[in-house]
Amino acid sequence: MENMIEVRDVKKYYKIAKREKGMAAAAGNLFNRKYETKRAVDDISFSIKKGEIVGFIGPNGAGKSTTVKILSGILYPDAGEVKVGGFIPYKQRKQYVKNIGVVFGQKSQLNWDLPLIESFELMKFIYKIPQKKYEENLRLFSKLLDMEEFINQPVRQLSLGQRMRGDIVASLLHSPEIVFLDEPTIGLDVVAKERIREFVRYMNETERTTIIFTTHDMQDIEKVCDRLIIIDKGKKIYDGSIEEIKNRYANIKTIELLLEDGRKETKTFDVSKTPMSVVMESLFSEKNIKDITLCESEIDSIIRDIYEGRVILDDLEAERN
Amino acid sequence: MRAYLEFAIKKFQDKMAYRLDFFMGIVNTAITILVYLCIYRALYGNAADVDGISYSMVATNFVITLGLSNAFHYNEMFLQDKIRDGSITNEFLKPVSFILRLLSENIGEGAFKIIFHFLPALGITILYTKLCPPESVLGLFAMFLSVVLGYLILWLISFIIQTWSFWLFSVWGIITIKNVFVSILSGSLLPLWFMPEALRGIISVTPFESIYFTPVRIYLGELEGMELLWALAVQIMWIAVLGLIANAFWKKGVKKLVVQGG
Ligand SMILES: Nc1ncnc2c1ncn2[C@@H]1O[C@H](COP(=O)(O)OP(=O)(O)O)[C@@H](O)[C@H]1O
Ligand SMILES: [Mg+2]
Repeated sequence: MENMIEVRDVKKYYKIAKREKGMAAAAGNLFNRKYETKRAVDDISFSIKKGEIVGFIGPNGAGKSTTVKILSGILYPDAGEVKVGGFIPYKQRKQYVKNIGVVFGQKSQLNWDLPLIESFELMKFIYKIPQKKYEENLRLFSKLLDMEEFINQPVRQLSLGQRMRGDIVASLLHSPEIVFLDEPTIGLDVVAKERIREFVRYMNETERTTIIFTTHDMQDIEKVCDRLIIIDKGKKIYDGSIEEIKNRYANIKTIELLLEDGRKETKTFDVSKTPMSVVMESLFSEKNIKDITLCESEIDSIIRDIYEGRVILDDLEAERN
Repeated sequence: MRAYLEFAIKKFQDKMAYRLDFFMGIVNTAITILVYLCIYRALYGNAADVDGISYSMVATNFVITLGLSNAFHYNEMFLQDKIRDGSITNEFLKPVSFILRLLSENIGEGAFKIIFHFLPALGITILYTKLCPPESVLGLFAMFLSVVLGYLILWLISFIIQTWSFWLFSVWGIITIKNVFVSILSGSLLPLWFMPEALRGIISVTPFESIYFTPVRIYLGELEGMELLWALAVQIMWIAVLGLIANAFWKKGVKKLVVQGG
């Protein structure tokens, strides 16, 4: 099957003006500005097939939003190639944007003063959505996202979760083939998050919409996405299924020991290298152990370990290739 | 096309939601006009005319220039705010022209203020003083056309300065200076008839004369036939020139944003 999204060797460096302290330095800066280069996206490649739903995860400043901006055509890459649905986004922006839907969780595109429904109406005219399809989509979406009670309220009176649901609907009313959601669950409570996850999942399953979903929240990824791309410091450090990471981690165990003298200790070991029986034997022979607990590896802690370099994914990647 | 009409209508409706603004707008416009009329009535005293210009003509000039300039007032920091908080990029995600969208919204607001601020204020003014009646139906029609063209000139000047926010930290100061220039050079402080000859000559080669003074002169019947057509042509010429400049600045600014990322 053909690739919907193709990203090859993409780089984006920001030039940041350095500010120095003191009057003399400030005056000097007026004439001779010094710049620092920030490698926001540093040689990233991936491809995504039609109908895939891919989670982008990475710590703050990893380059997720920058990647989404390049994919949606509002930022030129400094190097590399991007092709989405047959378009080069940043070169053919005007025709291209009709085919995509984008939500930046941090920046609403709704009209603050108007009731939510009127922002939706505007979308109908902006995207020239046929009346029938508009009504169908609106009815379906407001049912799925439970929006009936606040659809007639001005956007400025909405809670963050309600506003975010509004933003998502506004960017999907024209039934785009490709959707980019940049942190659509940021700052939301569990219920609102769950609604959005179900909705995104539904759009992917019924419409075969190709979706990229960025988040900090591993739960989002587990519940919504088939595939996971981890980026950190502008580099892609993992690209594969969630299962794969978990399986790999199934071998890495953490146990908590409660010693006779009341002290607690934790030990991490790899059971594919040292069998469990050997570990236990040596532990019991070395220490006076009162109690022992085996800790589950939560996906959250796995990811934390990956960011912090406690687990190197190279061998994982190598295994797959 | 339909989308732009909707932008204007939505803005119009949006303005209707604020009752207090609505009331204050009438009072504000009426007071501005009446203050000027009082001053000029005192200056005229018992004189029938000054330099061949009657008090009624001056009053008509102020009703049109001040009434319209109040109605044509809108948030000129809009683009700067959008660039500063980064939400300008949202605009590039929609398959519509941002320039035309902003123009449509500002026109929607202007239309609201003409109907709900200017016309009531005009009613109040007529109770106070006698204005010149329109010269002819054709003249009235030509004046409406000329007001629209004048609005576009005013809007483009403002938009050009707004686009400088792509490079400058704040354009507030420049906008303020621009507004002072517009009120002096377009005749909303001192009617252009009374400007010194030399200054008048300079103003006549700037776009400022075309904003309010051309509609005023058409209304009063000072411009007729070829002169009227010429005045409209000059307005259109300014729209073309300013439009090209505005577009060039906008394109450059957008380019800077998409290349550098803000
Ligand atoms: N407009 C910009 N100018 C300069 N630096 C920027 C700009 N936008 C983002 N950055 C920097 O680029 C890096 C990546 O940012 P971003 O893509 O927003 O990360 P994420 O969305 O993963 O949190 C960060 O270090 C950020 O400070
Ligand atoms: Mg981000």
